[in-house]
Order: sequence, then C-alpha cells, then structure tokens
Amino acid sequence: MGSPALLVEAASKRFGETLALASASLTLERGEWLALLGPNGAGKTTLVRSIADRVRLDGGAIDLLGQRLDGSPAAALVRNKLGMVPQEIALFPMLTAAENLRLWGELSGAGDKDLGQRIEWALEWTDLETRRHDLVGTFSGGMKRRLNIACGVLHRPEVVLLDEPTVGVDPQSRERIWEMLSELRREGAALLLTTHQLDEAQQVADRIVIIDHGRDVAAGSFQQLVRDTIGAGRRVSLHLDKPVAAPAGFELDNSVLRGTLDDVAQALPALLQRVATAGGKVLDVEIEAPSLQAVFIHLTGRELRE
Amino acid sequence: MIGTMMRLGWTNLKRDRVALFLTFLMPLVFFSIFAAIFGNMGGSGESGAMKALRVLAVDEDGSDVSRALLASLAAEDSLDVAAAPDANEETPEPASWTRDSAYREVRGGRAAAAVVVPRGFGEEYGNFGQPGQPLELIYDASNPMAQFAVSGLLQAAAFQAAPSALMESGFEALEQFGGGDLTEDQQSAMTSLKALVDEQIEQGGPAAASDGGIGGLVQVVSTPAHEDDDDTQSFSMVAYYAAGIGVMFLLFSMTGAAGTLLDEQDSGTLERLLASNLTVSQLLGGKWLFYSLMGLVQVVLMFAWGAAVFGLDLWSIKTLAGFFLVAIPTAAAAAAFGILLATLCQSRAQLGGISTIVILVMSALGGSMVPRFVMPDFMDTLSKFTFNGWALDGFLKVFWYNDPDSSLFDSLVDLAPQVSVLSAACIVFLLISRRLARRWERI
Repeated sequence: MGSPALLVEAASKRFGETLALASASLTLERGEWLALLGPNGAGKTTLVRSIADRVRLDGGAIDLLGQRLDGSPAAALVRNKLGMVPQEIALFPMLTAAENLRLWGELSGAGDKDLGQRIEWALEWTDLETRRHDLVGTFSGGMKRRLNIACGVLHRPEVVLLDEPTVGVDPQSRERIWEMLSELRREGAALLLTTHQLDEAQQVADRIVIIDHGRDVAAGSFQQLVRDTIGAGRRVSLHLDKPVAAPAGFELDNSVLRGTLDDVAQALPALLQRVATAGGKVLDVEIEAPSLQAVFIHLTGRELRE
Repeated sequence: MIGTMMRLGWTNLKRDRVALFLTFLMPLVFFSIFAAIFGNMGGSGESGAMKALRVLAVDEDGSDVSRALLASLAAEDSLDVAAAPDANEETPEPASWTRDSAYREVRGGRAAAAVVVPRGFGEEYGNFGQPGQPLELIYDASNPMAQFAVSGLLQAAAFQAAPSALMESGFEALEQFGGGDLTEDQQSAMTSLKALVDEQIEQGGPAAASDGGIGGLVQVVSTPAHEDDDDTQSFSMVAYYAAGIGVMFLLFSMTGAAGTLLDEQDSGTLERLLASNLTVSQLLGGKWLFYSLMGLVQVVLMFAWGAAVFGLDLWSIKTLAGFFLVAIPTAAAAAAFGILLATLCQSRAQLGGISTIVILVMSALGGSMVPRFVMPDFMDTLSKFTFNGWALDGFLKVFWYNDPDSSLFDSLVDLAPQVSVLSAACIVFLLISRRLARRWERI
C-alpha cells in the first residue's frame, strides 16, 4: 500500500499565548473524502493553513503524497499537487469567470497547453458556460462559490483542501456543489473538507476527524464514531394514552416512555407487546437514529457553532 | 437619545486616530505650511526669511557709476548679487559674468535674473536732456517675482548709487535748458538741496530714496531668458503645473491602486494568492511593475495633453529623452511609494486617511501646490526630503531650464541628480515595503 495522500503528525503551533494546535494528527488516504470538524477556534483553519504552507509549524510534520513538506525543492514540487479552496470568495470581481479561471490556473501551475481545456471543463463543471464572459462581481453567491472551487482544482490536484465550501449558499447551490465534489472524488482526488454542515459531512465523508482545543479527539467513519461514543442504538419514544410500568432500561415521563434499543427491528415489537400487556395504548412512536451532532456534543461537550 | 448618538460619534472619532488627525491637526499643518510660505513666518530669523533672489551683475561699463549702482543693488537684503561665479579649487579667481554667461545661468535656472550695465552707461547717467543707455534685466520668466522685484530695486539702487552725479547733471540740464547760468542764490539753493538729499539717503538707506516717490531714473529693458519662445510666461507655468499636478495625482493614483493589496487581504484573495506558487516578493514586484507602467502612462498623458492643448514643447528629441529619463524613475518611485503606504497600513480606510495626509503635505512642501521660489529657505530645504520635489525639479529642467546649446548627452547628464535621487527613493521604498510585507508571509 502506498503512502497516504496526506499525513499530519503531531502538528503544534502557538500564536503568542494562544495554543492553536496541540499535537493534532490526521491521515487522508488517496481518493478518500475526509471531513474535519471542530468548534470555532478548535484549530481547523490553522491546520488547513499549515497544510497549505501558510503556517510554519512549531512541531510535528506534514507529508503530502509521501513527501515531507519541509521547504525543500521537492516539497515545492509536490505542493503543485495540492489544491486549495478557501472559505472566502477569493476571486477578482472585475474579471470574468474565464479570466479568473485562467489567472488562478496560471498561478497554480496548470500547463499552458492544458489550461484552455481545463477552463472549458471548469465552466461546464460549474454550469457557468453561458456566464463565461460575465464579470464575477455580477454573480450570485452560489455561482461565485462554484467558481471559487473550480479555481482551486483547475490544475488537477491530487489532494484538495476545502474550507467551508458551501457556507452561505442556498440549498440548490449546495446540492450542486456536493455533486461537483463527488465528481472530483470519482476522478481520484482526495478531499479534506472542513464544514459546519454536520448532516452533510455525515452523508458524504468516508471518514470524519473531530478536532478540539487544537488536537484530534476522534477519527473514523460515522458508524465507528457512533459506536465508540454514544453507541449505535436508536433512541425510541412511545407516547401512551396512560402511564404504565417502565420496562428495564426505559424511563416514563408524563405518559412518554423513553429508552434506547440496540436492534430496533427485533426489540420494538416486543416492547409494543409489553406495553399492550400492561394495559397501555401506544398513540405514537418516535425512533431517533444516532447523529453526528450527538457524537460531536458527546466528544466536545458543546455545539459545533459555539 | 441625542446624547447617546453624540457619545457614539465621539467614541468613534476618538478611536480613529487618522480621522482625529484629519479633523484637528491636518488643518493646522496646512495652515502652517501656507502661512510659512506667504506670511514669511519668522521673517526676522535667518531660516524663516524669504529666500533671496540670486541676481548676476554684469558690469560692461566699469565706471564709478556702474560700480556704485551694482554695489547699491548688492546691499539689498532681498537679493543675492554675484559679480562672478563662485570660486573653487579649479578657478580660485573666476572671471566676472559676461552677458552671455549670465544669460545661460538664468536660462538654466541657476539665477533668477541678471542685470547688465552696458558700456557708456556711466557717462550718460543722469543726463536729463537725452535718454541714456538702458540697463538690461535678463529674467527667468518661470519666476514671476524676479522681473518685477529686481526692476523696482534697480530704480532704488540707481537713485542711491550716485546722487551727486545726478544732482550735478540736473544743474547742468537746468542751466542748459533754463536759458542761462543760475544766479548765486539759485546755485546756493541747489547745493543745499543736494546736501539734503545726500543726508537723507545716508540716514534712511536706499529705501528712503525710493519711498520718496522718486523712480524711473534709469531705463530698464527686460529680456526673458527664454526669448526665443513665443509665450515664455504661459509656457513656463504650463510646464510647472503639468509637473506639479501630474506628480501629485500620480501619488494619489498609485496609493489608490496599491490599496488593492489591502482589498485582497480583506477578501481572502491575498491568502489564496500566496498559497499558490506566488511569493510575496513576486506579488509586490508584479504590482510595482504594473503600477510603474500605469504611472508612466499617466504622466505621458498629462504632458502630451499639455503639448497638444497648451503648446508645451514636448516634441523634440532632447525634450522627449529628458522627459522619459525623469518620468520613468518618477513613476517607479511613486509606485513604490504607493506600495509602501499600502504595506504600512492595516486597512483600506487607514490607507485612505494616511495617504491623503502624507501626499498633501509632500505636495505642499515639494512645490506641487505653490512654487518653491516663493518659499522661505527652511521650507525649500525641507522640500529636498520630498521625492516629488525632485521629480518637479527634473521636469522643470527638461521643459524650462534647458540649455538650447547643450548636446543631448549633456542635457541628460544634467538630470543625473534628480534621476539618482528618484531611483534611490524607489529602491528604498521597495525595500521597506518588502520588509513590512513580511506580515503576509507564512507565519
């Protein structure tokens, strides 16, 4: 097995009195989609900027495609295989879509021969072919976001850093952006994504790394995280017509019976039968699947946006 | 509620130091600059006194009267009269000015005027019967003070220089045209009057004579040092203001353009640019080169407009070569200055405030607003520390103080001080900018 696309080992960074990174580690495999989650101030941006070579680490190391990012000429070469999509709309509003693509393509090291084709690809990929000659300043938020992403991947990077790529866009645009990123992944790019959209991270990411206070506190697939933290059981609530005796592991609260079932398919019928036997009538049933939100709160003790 | 809004306004103002400076101190700074220029601030002191006009004395006559006239002129505090070039190691005893050498000096901007006393002036001085030899005043038309001030002072000096000769000539004229010899009483009265005039002049100095309303004793023929030009005065001012206004607006446009660095910083574009293969040096270098070209086009447009509409003499090889020799380092230095201010400031708003202050002060001191020849000595010295003052000097050398007889090479060499200072300023500004831009490097 080859080296991972990205390997961060015990990265640490201090800004004055503030410890931004305290031995944070993560691994992004080739072709993998990794979501990096953490509350505000947890160190996500510092970590992403370190990978993009905009922050010099105090300790630890970063390997990109097997090459240590140590400032050497070889490291400079391998950085051409890294794509960066910042959270900000980092485009030139007085340039057209095509002009922005050309500029960022040139700066990212996209070859002259290939650049024209890549611009055509990007315009099609972002659904902006008909707006290619329009100034970016006239675009909607969603269009700018799509172009922002395209400018970061024009040079066919093998690893793409995406910092909040869907922030501030409407649901339709967000859906389109996820489709675009899925296409990138299908083409073999490894994606490292920071986001506040937990439900989307849960849906699209192969693995999730949760970072807090500058260090990684958990990593794995969603199922692994759930199993390792809050457990895989479903939270079940039965609304009854009258209070009945609560079975073991359940609580009764104003005629609502609440508890967790590890295997809903098998355990729920038995539970319903037991309530009926006790003389109760079930008016409604709520089954709540474990969420990343719950995992996050379990691990960090706070909401993602705090 | 009104009190709350007032408190809000005051809190905002007191926390915005640039706004505070613009509101309260900037007017005082400008007032002081213009008061110093026009009000002759501290005129009693050496540094605050109005700069003396440099006048060259050409004595072709060599008579007692001509020597007395020039000596009297030299006694004027407001004039710096030189009879010969300054001595140096090569020429410890330089020859006196001739009309030609003095003319070249004035044309080259190294003197405000030259007074030529023609041969035979002394013999005919005070001859009331017929017009005598006129004095010639060669003046720099780009300095409107020169002609009128020196001309007026010449009349005063003429009266003071040889009053006895004047009186004696007057008696002779009276006897000649009055129909015969004067009586003893008449001669006695005239002698007393002559003594009284001498006494008054001795007591009151040269001003006493001119203040008494006696003027026009000598004829003065004024010759502009650019006599070959059709409209010297207007051309000189066109050249002056094309340079002055051009350089001032060059600075404004350069700082405005360099402000995109701060816009890009705020929008996150700068971070993305530097996360690409671009280095900070390349970023600044690319912007500086573009702004320099932009500034050069701006200056070219300004002077081309001056040539097309106001008849500025731009279209000769020598002028064009000199123009570009000055315009290129001027544009480059202005671009570097704009980048320096942008790297110094943290935000576009801060840049707007600071650049307004710095550029207006520099322009006032450098001569973009008010010609430097009206400035007191200390302000003229201060202007040497403004690079736009050097740019202005360079353009004036090209368009005004050019020697028509000099070769192309010599005229370009003559611009070496200005070009050197502008180039050095450009390099210094760029080095400081690069240093300040370290905040954008990886941290």
